Amino acid sequence: MAVAQAKLDAAVARLAGLDLPQGGWSGGARADAVARLQAMGLPAKRDEYWRYTDPTTLTAATPVAAAPFDASDEAQLFDAIDRVRLVFVDGVFDPAQSDDPVAAGVELLSQAADIHWAQGLYGTLEARGQNPVARPLAALNTAAATEGVLIRVTGQVAKPIHLVYLQESDTSDAILHHCVKLEEGAELTLLESGPGAARFNQVLEVEVADGARFHHIRIQGRDHDRRLATHIFARLGAESLFKSFTLTANGVMTRNEAVLELTGDDAMAHIAGAALGNGDYHHDDTVFITHAAERCESRQVFKNVLRNGAVGVFQGKILVKPGAQKTDGYQISQCLLLDEAAQFLAKPELEIYADDVKCSHGSTSGAIDDTALYYLRSRGVPLRQAQSLLVLAFLAEAIDEIEDEGIAGEIRLRLEAWLSRQDG
Amino acid sequence: MLEIKNLHVKLEEDDKVILKGVDLTVEAGKVHAIMGPNGSGKSTLSYVLSGRDGYEVTDGSATLDGVELLEMEPEERAAAGLFLAFQYPVEIPGVGNMTFLRTAVNAQRKARGEAELSAGDFLKIVREKAKALKIDAEMMKRPVNVGFSGGEKKRNEILQMAMLEPKMCILDETDSGLDVDAMKLVADGVNALRSEGRAFLVITHYQRLLDHIKPDVVHIMADGRIIKTGGPELALEVENNGYANLLAEVQ
Amino acid sequence: MGLETEDQIEVRDGVDRETIETVQAMAGKYKHGWETEIETEYAPKGLNEDIVRLISEKNGEPQWMLDWRLAAFARWQKMEEPRWAMLNYPEIDYQDQYYYAKPKSMDAKPKSLDEVDPKLLATYEKLGIPLKEQMLLAGVEGSDEPRKVAVDAVFDSVSVGTTFKEELRKAGVIFCSISEAIREYPDLVQKYLGSVVPQSDNFFATLNCAVFSDGSFVYIPEGTRCPMELSTYFRINAENTGQFERTLIVAEKGSYVSYLEGCTAPKRDTHQLHAAVVEIVILDDAEVKYSTVQNWYPGDEDGKGGIYNFVTKRADCRGARSKVMWTQVETGSAITWKYPSCILRGEESQGEFYSIAIANNAQQADTGTKMVHLGKNTKSRIVSKGISAGRAQNTYRGLVTMHPKALNSRNYTQCDSLLIGDKCGAHTVPYIEVKNNSSRVEHEATTSKVDDDQLFYCRSRGMDEEEAVALVVNGFCKEVLQALPMEFAMEAQSLVAISLEGSVG
Repeated sequence: MAVAQAKLDAAVARLAGLDLPQGGWSGGARADAVARLQAMGLPAKRDEYWRYTDPTTLTAATPVAAAPFDASDEAQLFDAIDRVRLVFVDGVFDPAQSDDPVAAGVELLSQAADIHWAQGLYGTLEARGQNPVARPLAALNTAAATEGVLIRVTGQVAKPIHLVYLQESDTSDAILHHCVKLEEGAELTLLESGPGAARFNQVLEVEVADGARFHHIRIQGRDHDRRLATHIFARLGAESLFKSFTLTANGVMTRNEAVLELTGDDAMAHIAGAALGNGDYHHDDTVFITHAAERCESRQVFKNVLRNGAVGVFQGKILVKPGAQKTDGYQISQCLLLDEAAQFLAKPELEIYADDVKCSHGSTSGAIDDTALYYLRSRGVPLRQAQSLLVLAFLAEAIDEIEDEGIAGEIRLRLEAWLSRQDG
Repeated sequence: MLEIKNLHVKLEEDDKVILKGVDLTVEAGKVHAIMGPNGSGKSTLSYVLSGRDGYEVTDGSATLDGVELLEMEPEERAAAGLFLAFQYPVEIPGVGNMTFLRTAVNAQRKARGEAELSAGDFLKIVREKAKALKIDAEMMKRPVNVGFSGGEKKRNEILQMAMLEPKMCILDETDSGLDVDAMKLVADGVNALRSEGRAFLVITHYQRLLDHIKPDVVHIMADGRIIKTGGPELALEVENNGYANLLAEVQ
Repeated sequence: MGLETEDQIEVRDGVDRETIETVQAMAGKYKHGWETEIETEYAPKGLNEDIVRLISEKNGEPQWMLDWRLAAFARWQKMEEPRWAMLNYPEIDYQDQYYYAKPKSMDAKPKSLDEVDPKLLATYEKLGIPLKEQMLLAGVEGSDEPRKVAVDAVFDSVSVGTTFKEELRKAGVIFCSISEAIREYPDLVQKYLGSVVPQSDNFFATLNCAVFSDGSFVYIPEGTRCPMELSTYFRINAENTGQFERTLIVAEKGSYVSYLEGCTAPKRDTHQLHAAVVEIVILDDAEVKYSTVQNWYPGDEDGKGGIYNFVTKRADCRGARSKVMWTQVETGSAITWKYPSCILRGEESQGEFYSIAIANNAQQADTGTKMVHLGKNTKSRIVSKGISAGRAQNTYRGLVTMHPKALNSRNYTQCDSLLIGDKCGAHTVPYIEVKNNSSRVEHEATTSKVDDDQLFYCRSRGMDEEEAVALVVNGFCKEVLQALPMEFAMEAQSLVAISLEGSVG
């Protein structure tokens, strides 16, 4: 179908309002991204994959102001872990607060050189991920990003790399683009906490070569007013592993997209999310996993706990290409609605072109189990505590996707703290 | 200890009257049994006492050591010392059995103004009590009642009872779905808990459980009322002649 | 003792000896592909206002009906054909076909079936559809009761005749062609036509509003249990002709009816359009069962010919405790675009949808249901079994909505796909919208292939591969087959086997 003219016009207008970097090693990729965006237009409410989420505030020329959130009453996340900290304030790298990136083997995104290893990666996976579903905000990111990290890993990285996003200005409009390349057999854990700007548009491109392992744990904190659109584009080689977990608590607008492509045999991709929403909150997980090789496994585990008018959206797809035999695809999306005003909107899809596959998906939504609640209370556990216990149990399957027990434990503790705060 | 007076209860949803004036007094240190045909209101009585939703008390009272139970939340009743061993123990996926027990024990201690048990002390006590009930460590790690066999579920109920040390224990059809060996194990668990300060109300359809847990008093319940009260011999009478004669007698 | 595997392999439920025999008795490909040679009268080719007027005139319709059609036609001209389904077909030229075709012998409206052209009667005889008012003995064990089934037979654009009309009338039930109903019961038709599927509903439904030629009308009065099953058999015979039928069923308070629908067409090299609308109104405590065995010509192995089937079916459970059950077996058509839906408006109303969709060779099916929960304590259940073979694409598309006021409602959806061969596709596109927390929605879907162990087990017992596949597939479908009335269940089982011919080897 022809792309509506209004969407195309909106893309042109949006691009005109940006100061787009030119030249350098990424210049070609950026020009291509501009062309892509001009051809597909900006997202609109009538688009199939935006039917449950209104993109207006994400596409507008200027962000809606959002006061920085004061989280000083709780400990910094991942503080207990020995890690390399790289801090971005309002989307701009802050060397003063950061560890030395060079020592950690991390480069910062810049236009300086004409030739760079990331040339084959920057914008490449994003471009691949535009088919069959357009992701205009990601193309916009590739065209306009001036900040981000470039990480190439050849062995096992001893310390996790932690990207810390802090917000100071209430009108900050951050665009970050990270590229991670894991060479054969390499392993990396990437931590993120933020989002750290009034509006935050982020792309993470990850190339996982044969036998490499990538762990990603991300916390999108309690800051309520920010608007956030993230994309993960990953390509997986043979026998590689990709694991990503995101915890989101509040946020007036969150759209997390993940586009994962399993291109080597026996690869494994797991992506999970746990989201807590209270009040004026909109959370959207949109996942597209393509199986293009044999004997690969993918898992999508998404859990939402919503109350007080919060809205949760899940759009997940498993695409099994012809020849991707022995695929094992699993997808579960579940929502706990804690009161009458909360909503859950889901579109869990399967598209399968190979016969020797095992694919399943499940989606459930409903209130907390009254019988379980009563059972707990009959053993003397107070109502609030019983509810919180059942919420944690509900989220457990998603948190179990975190391989590192220490990190999983920290996330559980943080969740408990947040839940008791919500109760209070 | 437990005193039920003129208790009338109906279902909230369809106005169906289930209990039509139950009077019952259970003294400390005693074991009372309630027997009765299906649909007589036995299980409803246990649910109403423990505070399950869906029932409306239209008249009467139930007190534990003089304190009105029916106004309390379920957890307050538990803290006051009431325990119900469920006929159908509830499965709670995602909540570990050990976590569940520790949360319950500490919540009750807190409610009673006692210090919480340390993890080490707690573990020591659980292990000891679980061993007596032949509950292994693996069962403690699994989610509450998920994938448990019928016998395992009932033993798990008794373990909770042993850990929570209630004053007033209600056993709702604890023998249902158990073979002879499992029933003996459960009965031994219960008997071990018998003491001066603790009372039991054993709800059962059959006499066989009462071979193992000897009652002091037996009540026959039918159509929402206690229709006859007697000693252990009453249970034998039911066993031999069924309920029909008793029901006819009353009418 | 048999093979070692005997103890280890369990053939799916429902695969019993009877099924094996049925499947073995199958022979021949699409068995309804022959043509009746009969003189046919056509309206001029193409679509314009004059054609709409002509159809209305041929049916002897009152002015209000013509006005309604013309309004629909005006609206349709401004509409765009939907392309969101996972269906790939060339542009349809709406001007390059006939919108009205009628056997010439039907000109002098026959007063009874005795006066109907013997050629037409022979056609239905050959299709195995009883147009005599006879007892029907279901050829199934366990049903010795002779059963009556009333039939409305629609041939191209006209209804040939309706059986058991008098007997039904005695019970107060009206069962006749929709064209007759418009003439004889205008008040009822005017009250309900378009009240479930509005004129503006969608491109194909609006087209139907403008050009529908015939179909069936059913009215079950208050408190009446329809004394027999009702059925309509649709036959497309004429070439290059679209069939646009319209069915309206009204079940008054406390009534019950079971309605069956069957469809066949001759083999043609060109595609033919079929765009039907079915509306069902169900009032307090009434229940309607609607079963379809759709066996339109599917086209040949290369996708040449076959029916394009674009159908809008919807039941409006207006009354409290009303109930509808859709059961469909979709084996035919080159393209299937069909989503029988339930509007659960009345409190405690219930909707059920049971579907088997088989796509083989070059067939494409995009089918499913909508369950729109508006009333309190409403319940719905969806069981969909999709089977893909050859190069076919089979999509389940469904919507479950729990509105904020539909408190304490329930939905359960089970959606299974089976793939036979590595060139076909099986897709699942559910939309789930939950807007209150006292309702519970559960959706489960699986995709798998035909189990090799089961096939091997069947073959080791002497079945060839195709028989074995048909057998296993019948087992896979059993839950849905059981929801069909007895006669249909047998026919559907046979169809499953025939539809899968050539899918292996």
